[in-house]
Amino acid sequence: MATLTDNPAVSAAAVEALTERLQEPAWLAEERRAALRTFDATAWPTERDEDWRYTQLKRFSIDGLEPTDGPADATVGDRIAMRMRDSDAEGILVNKNGRTIETVRKLEEQGVVFEDLNTAVREHEALVREHLYSVVDAKSGKYHALNAALWQNGTFVYVPAGIEVELPLGTFTTADRGGLSAGRTLIIADENAKVTFLDEYTSEPFDGHLFHGSVTEIVLKQGAKARYLSLQNWGRNVAHMGKMHARLARDARLESLTVSLGGDAARVEVESHMQGPGSESEMLGLYFADQGQHYNQYTLQHHEADHAFSDVLFKGALRDASHAVYSGVIVVDEGAQKTDAYQTNRNLLLDEDSEAVSIPQLEIGANDVRCSHGSTTGPVPEDQRFYLMSRGMQPEVAEHLLVTGFLYEVMSRVTLPKAAEYVERVVQAKLGVPGVKEKL
Amino acid sequence: MSENRLEIRNLHARIAGGADILKGVDLIVPAGEVHALMGQNGSGKSTLAKVMAGDPSYEITDGDILVDGESVLEMEPDERARAGLYLAFQYPVEVPGVSIANFLRLAINARRDEDDEIGVMEFYEKLQNAVKELDWDDSIIERNLHEGFSGGEKKRSEILQLLVLEPKYAILDETDSGLDVDALKTVSQGVNAARGENFGALVITHYQRLLNHIVPDKVHVMSEGRVITTGEKELAMELDQKGYDWIKDTVAAGA
Repeated sequence: MATLTDNPAVSAAAVEALTERLQEPAWLAEERRAALRTFDATAWPTERDEDWRYTQLKRFSIDGLEPTDGPADATVGDRIAMRMRDSDAEGILVNKNGRTIETVRKLEEQGVVFEDLNTAVREHEALVREHLYSVVDAKSGKYHALNAALWQNGTFVYVPAGIEVELPLGTFTTADRGGLSAGRTLIIADENAKVTFLDEYTSEPFDGHLFHGSVTEIVLKQGAKARYLSLQNWGRNVAHMGKMHARLARDARLESLTVSLGGDAARVEVESHMQGPGSESEMLGLYFADQGQHYNQYTLQHHEADHAFSDVLFKGALRDASHAVYSGVIVVDEGAQKTDAYQTNRNLLLDEDSEAVSIPQLEIGANDVRCSHGSTTGPVPEDQRFYLMSRGMQPEVAEHLLVTGFLYEVMSRVTLPKAAEYVERVVQAKLGVPGVKEKL
Repeated sequence: MSENRLEIRNLHARIAGGADILKGVDLIVPAGEVHALMGQNGSGKSTLAKVMAGDPSYEITDGDILVDGESVLEMEPDERARAGLYLAFQYPVEVPGVSIANFLRLAINARRDEDDEIGVMEFYEKLQNAVKELDWDDSIIERNLHEGFSGGEKKRSEILQLLVLEPKYAILDETDSGLDVDALKTVSQGVNAARGENFGALVITHYQRLLNHIVPDKVHVMSEGRVITTGEKELAMELDQKGYDWIKDTVAAGA
């Protein structure tokens, strides 16, 4: 059995050096120190832990990795430049190996803050201090404690009450060196505010192995609406550990989409806490694993208040001895009556060497609720394959069509056309559709 | 003798591992002609259709299938389609999330060289003409392939595809089953529009009523895995009146 072990580079000295370099206020330095203590006191997950049972843990090892200290080349690079042009975003931050190397702001909306998190700690200290770690703290787990102690940079978004930011704000995270990096995003949408956030990860090939931890905290005040799209398309020498966690007040609405296409291994946790009555969370997931990739996904729909709605739909395709795990929990607290909660996971296996595990769970403490969950895992239906081939399509064209058709149920619900197009192109490139690679 | 024909020679086939369902089928459909293939349930008509298209659940134990003189036996289903064969399915399959337009564009391009994809205008013109031929609404092309389609709509879609893909030879497997009179006329109109000297079709049906609309050049009758007789279009009418036992007895008496 693989066991994870401590990395001497994750140390009090590393925390002190980081907080010193960033010239952080005392309260934040203290938070980091406390997080490191929690990290040290928390055991590494093992395959005996229910949450991690089917995870190929050694692929999330941080052994021997040094915290990254900036990129080798601090320019944006072609791929990110292309994504920046293509994404329709009003504000863009580019992070590379733990440093923010580019900030573009087009928006001039009243009071909207879009800032790298290091700067925001200084310039919007009260707001940051009130909310940072308020959704995901060091106690959320070993890897999140690591992030809380050693996050290097990230993004801060604040949208004041009543302001609707129509075009997306986005962060593009990339790397050109191996090591250990950690980013953090804090999004606050005040009452009746509206915001869209793109969280993209991509990299060109480079030597070495990168472990990237990412934590996103989303605070939605009463009536606020957020769309959050995480698009993980790292190079194959990267392990990604991501968590997005949203807190919803009364009548707030979250639409999230988590896409996993790149990396060697990725674990994503998507959590939504319906704390106010009438709040709604749509949590979509899409993945396509090939060439031995390992994707591990966890969702939590926590209904703390009554009359809230949540819907999880995670769909993915696998081939070439790839592996996917989905586990999801719907928790309905006592008193959260009239809860409406759904959870679906579907896997399409394109060959016999790939494997998908699906573990849906319900924990219901109220008696007047509507909850359902379901999961299916299976190969491409032979009758569909035969039908498409009988129309002259080569087997690879038929497979391409069946995969995109399978993922359509998720794609058709994505309300950001530019992002949806990009996801489709990456999927097509993985499928080997001719002429697509050049457009990426 | 013209080689432009669809020919089935002494064809024996079975579900993998089972007993033969086809026990020596012989049949020729010359280009430019439409033939009917009639027979009772279980006579092997639909098996013949699926075997010709290359359905992987069947195995051929003897005989041959030739398209314009060339055997397609060793070909995969997609290769057979590109060689000019088309099967209108008795039970068309639903493919979720794939629009008819996208599906047909890919099916056309599968027949063309990689650097010679069909132009957008040319494609939509072709598609819209076919839609019009079938008295259908343009919006149909954006719907997902057979998702939520009625039985009649699925059959209509099979003929739509036939019109767009322009195969050399089509096998229509009980395209009339489950259709009301109006739908039957529409579907027939589509098939008749495809008729021409470069198109041959084998229309499989139980009933004569389809053949009022698609008038066949020849009628073949199948029983117990073989074609037992072939006649002119009047044979269908006679069969309808006198029944299959009559034809079986007649053939037996003549043998």
